[in-house]
Amino acid sequence: MHDLLEKPATAPTSTAAVEIRNVSFNYGSSQALKDITLDLKKNEVTAFIGPSGCGKSTLLRCINRMNDEIVGTRITQGEILVEGINIHHPSVDVVKLRRDVGMVFQKSNPFPSSIFENVAFGLRMRGERNNAVIAQTVEESLKAAALWDEVKDRLQESALGLSGGQQQRLCIARTIAVKPLVVLMDEPCSALDPIATAKVEELVWNLKHDYTFVIVTHNMQQAARVSDRTAFFYMGELIEFSDTKRMFSNPRVRKTEEYITGRFG
Amino acid sequence: MNQPHIFHEIDNAMTGLKDKVLLMASLTRQNLERAIQALLTRDIDLARMVIGDDSDVDDLEVKIDQQGMDILVRFHPVASDLRLVITSMKTAHNLERISDHAVTIAKRAKKICKSAEPLETTIIEPLYTMAEKILRDALLAYTDANTDLGEGLKSCDKALDAAHKEVIALLSSRLESSGGRAENLLHLILVARSLERIGDLAVNIGEDSVFLSEARDIRHEQRKGPAPVEGQG
Repeated sequence: MHDLLEKPATAPTSTAAVEIRNVSFNYGSSQALKDITLDLKKNEVTAFIGPSGCGKSTLLRCINRMNDEIVGTRITQGEILVEGINIHHPSVDVVKLRRDVGMVFQKSNPFPSSIFENVAFGLRMRGERNNAVIAQTVEESLKAAALWDEVKDRLQESALGLSGGQQQRLCIARTIAVKPLVVLMDEPCSALDPIATAKVEELVWNLKHDYTFVIVTHNMQQAARVSDRTAFFYMGELIEFSDTKRMFSNPRVRKTEEYITGRFG
Repeated sequence: MNQPHIFHEIDNAMTGLKDKVLLMASLTRQNLERAIQALLTRDIDLARMVIGDDSDVDDLEVKIDQQGMDILVRFHPVASDLRLVITSMKTAHNLERISDHAVTIAKRAKKICKSAEPLETTIIEPLYTMAEKILRDALLAYTDANTDLGEGLKSCDKALDAAHKEVIALLSSRLESSGGRAENLLHLILVARSLERIGDLAVNIGEDSVFLSEARDIRHEQRKGPAPVEGQG
């Protein structure tokens, strides 16, 4: 049962997991997003690319209302629907929204507790008390995150003892343990070596059958490798949003071409 | 005109690749022209020169492939950059085959020149003129990413095919009453065949130039209809 929907995840709605409709966003008087409209399709990976300050992370954080925590910020127009539900509707519980729209950050942020408890945290928060269910879900989540074989004999050890790549995969396991609808990833591999990066990418590719992913990345090759669709942002505007293969072989907009080929002045 | 890359080494590598293709194109055209001249003027030395110089074209094909691979490995090109690398490597391959046909023509010219019997070699001159024009336009389409020129080559090639058929029919009819000239007529038929193939290979270059310019694949369009644009949606 999803917190946001209060209905089974299998209940069919639209083909878009997230619908972003004419969203503009301000940090104080500075406009960070300008009239953004795009759909994030279910069971697809969507990459957000663009130069620093273009608004891609801001938009990502709008999807689970993380920007609510920043004083002086607000959506000045438009709406965001997750599975058809307006996330700004007064009846929506933000904590529950963030369980259904999970987030993995640039720097892995495991809690200072055991590996097991890191993954079990969301389940316990949701009120799950059956230890057998928790243990089974932790195992399933760690297996899905391709971490089980590496940690199964030390589940009670501190998560802080894991390598950077392992910590990031633990954070992914923690996110998917509560069966979210959407997983937001903000430069999840920027601090990882190529092997750890490949493991995260493999993970995203395999998990997209069960989840919808949005990944913010500065790595063009990563966007090309792992995403189905790519959105290019520049100065708060959505410049181009298309199939990833098309975006990296024949972009429609000159500015996109200049950015992805490294000609951006 | 594209802006320069922020990392200028990419521009240097791309320019270097394209320059090599243009050099290879120039050598290939020169080989073809000299092979035909050797045939028309009965110049055995010139024919030998064509056969010897083909290795320069072969070397360039290898260098272009190596440089293309280097660019793919080092710079991970995308969009128009990626298309330029792919098209350049394919163009080099087609040029190498065209130069091979020039060698074939030169070898036939040598054999014909050795024979004391005179032969109407000028019959194939119009084929050369047509094939050379298609090749020149195809290379211009590649250099300037000129879609119109690249797309227009198919109709020129049809005219070349028709002319080739006529020449083959004419030479075949003469075979019957050729007496001792049969072998030389067969050489001339193979020269005509090479010129027809050069037209086809030049059309390939033109088609790839359309892909370079617009990411549109026009190969085999007559058979299957216009190809959908890759990944559109």
